[in-house]
Amino acid sequence: MLKVSHVYKYFDDHCVNNDISLDLKDGEIFGLLGPNGAGKTTLMRMLATVFTPDRGEILIKGETLGSKHVPMIGYMPEERGLYRKMSVVDQLLYFAELKGLARSRAKDNVRKWLHRLDIVHWADRKMEELSKGMAQKIQFISTILHEPKFLILDEPFSGFDPVNADMVKDLIIELKESGTTILFSTHRMDNVEELCDRLAIIHEGRKVLDGSIDEVRREHFKFEYDLSFTEIVTIPEHFHFRKLEAASANTYRITLNKDESFTALLDWAYSTQKLKSFGEYLPTMHEIFVNKVSHK
Amino acid sequence: MRSIWVVLKKEYLTRIKNKTFILMTFLAPVLIALFYGGAIYFATVGAADHSEKTMYFQAPYWDLESDELSFEDYTFVPALSNTKSMIEAIENKKMSGWLQINDKDIRYIDSAELVGGASFSVTEIQKLNNHIKTRAHEFLLMELGISDSTLRQTEVQGSIRALEIDNDGDVANSNTTLKSAVGFAMAMIIYMFIFIYGSMVMRSAMEEKTNRIVEVIVSSVKPFDLMLGKILGVALVGLTQFFAWIALSVGLLGALSYAFSTGSDSITKEAQNIPVNELISGFNTLPFFDIIVVFILFFLGGYLLYSSIFAAIGAAVNQETDVQQFMLPVSLPLVFGFIIAQSVVFQSPNGQLAKVFSMIPLTSPIVMAVRAPFDVPISEIIGSFILLLLTFVFMVWLSAKIYRVGVLMYGKKPSWKDLFRWIKQS
Repeated sequence: MLKVSHVYKYFDDHCVNNDISLDLKDGEIFGLLGPNGAGKTTLMRMLATVFTPDRGEILIKGETLGSKHVPMIGYMPEERGLYRKMSVVDQLLYFAELKGLARSRAKDNVRKWLHRLDIVHWADRKMEELSKGMAQKIQFISTILHEPKFLILDEPFSGFDPVNADMVKDLIIELKESGTTILFSTHRMDNVEELCDRLAIIHEGRKVLDGSIDEVRREHFKFEYDLSFTEIVTIPEHFHFRKLEAASANTYRITLNKDESFTALLDWAYSTQKLKSFGEYLPTMHEIFVNKVSHK
Repeated sequence: MRSIWVVLKKEYLTRIKNKTFILMTFLAPVLIALFYGGAIYFATVGAADHSEKTMYFQAPYWDLESDELSFEDYTFVPALSNTKSMIEAIENKKMSGWLQINDKDIRYIDSAELVGGASFSVTEIQKLNNHIKTRAHEFLLMELGISDSTLRQTEVQGSIRALEIDNDGDVANSNTTLKSAVGFAMAMIIYMFIFIYGSMVMRSAMEEKTNRIVEVIVSSVKPFDLMLGKILGVALVGLTQFFAWIALSVGLLGALSYAFSTGSDSITKEAQNIPVNELISGFNTLPFFDIIVVFILFFLGGYLLYSSIFAAIGAAVNQETDVQQFMLPVSLPLVFGFIIAQSVVFQSPNGQLAKVFSMIPLTSPIVMAVRAPFDVPISEIIGSFILLLLTFVFMVWLSAKIYRVGVLMYGKKPSWKDLFRWIKQS
């Protein structure tokens, strides 16, 4: 669907995107992670045809991304807003028509979505009369009204109240099922683990990792094992461990050194005759994220 | 092309449907009519202040008596021998003043002084001054044995009329004053249109920026198309309003002048002082076709060029207060155009300087409009207009570049340096 290869973007002498490559498959949800100022928004703006890369290329369905692809792209920026003096319907029609949708089709879609989100009676109200939550709904509708094949959402959950955030989440899943490819940025890990098929972390303009969530977590496996016992046990000194506070009282997270074998740990645990459960500990996305962006 | 149309339609319809717009369209002509009606009323009826002035007159060396000097509402009485009681009378407002002239020769009023003159207006003093001099002059003529009627008979009437040779080789009235007035009025309309609707384009660009709509917009439509759509959409709004105003104003002023001409005869008396027939015959000699064509071309061209500059300003700034630093240098060429129009065009409308500034795109809308009634060569009009249009397209392109970068720059107030950097960047 979308192939970003070796893209660079500079502002003055500052390199905002440094050799970024991504590969998005048809109908997947791709998460873009990174701390503030990492260059996520710049990358998304390039994908939304707001900027053009200084170097490298972006291909969409095998063609170089350009203004003719505008109708198939939906973009919701982080900084969002609507015309305050325009009515809901006029506003939605305008955005849909700007994206190249024929007026009659645009009208049908507006009607459909207003019904769908149960806001038909607001259709002729001006934006300035609407509550913030209502405006957020309109904002999201305006992004997907022209049935884009590729949806770019910059921090789609920020600024939305919990009810609308859930609505957006449900719609994202629904759109994915109908074949839309979705790329979104976020700094909320729960959303990432819940929604993303694959993800990439960007830090200081560079991509520091990408892959599916399972792959990424597996890659960052640090030979940590969680063992819980029926009662207190004494752990041999040569094992590096710490007691986990949260779970049951007798759970320990043991980290093996490179020279220590997994079977040795298992043998010892088994020999205590108090072993209740035993499992690998894969770091959470949150831990990986913090790890990746804090030292580099 | 399609997106230009979509933007144009939106910009036009949202404004036309706006309540303030509708109100202003209907109200403005009424206000203008009231303004002019009021001005005419006060100029003719209201300004005539019927305060009578009675003052002492003392000119020991003159052979003119005080009663020979009285005129209109100004009455002169002989001065009293007691200065103190005269001062008292003036202080108590029983008398308006005390005019004393101590010059020995009636040809001089160097020593003329009006005690209590502070209560006189400048016009009143002027009037008094002229009257005293006229009377003294008449007196001198009488002394020489020249009567008033003899003097009238020797007065030379009339004035030099400028004639021009028209296209058919006929000689006709040239009516330079009328032409200048027409040219200046057109330039004024162009100037106002540029500022009223140019700033509308600017606010439209600013609205999208301050309401954070712009990012979606620039991801949907090319900035060039967006700018052009905005500029043309607002131009249509302006034209709609303009024609509505003309229609309404003509109707209202017609009704008003009818009411005045039947209601008060003072207007007609005033009007008789102006050579109406000469004005009407002057109108007929104006090159109407040329004037209208030039007006339409440079009216639209000037608006297009300046509104594209205004749009770029709107895209660059974050708030209305930042506009000022960019507005000044942009409006200077227009004001300069007026200065050129006044000093050069009036003196030699087809002279070298006038020609140069009617070619330069930033001043041409004003200068060419003023020159329009003075038979500007067609080649100059076409050349200047093409230059104006090319500059407009270039400006839209440049503004689109500033727009593309500027609209996404929030926060800090941009400098001129920033603008140039943005142009390079995009």
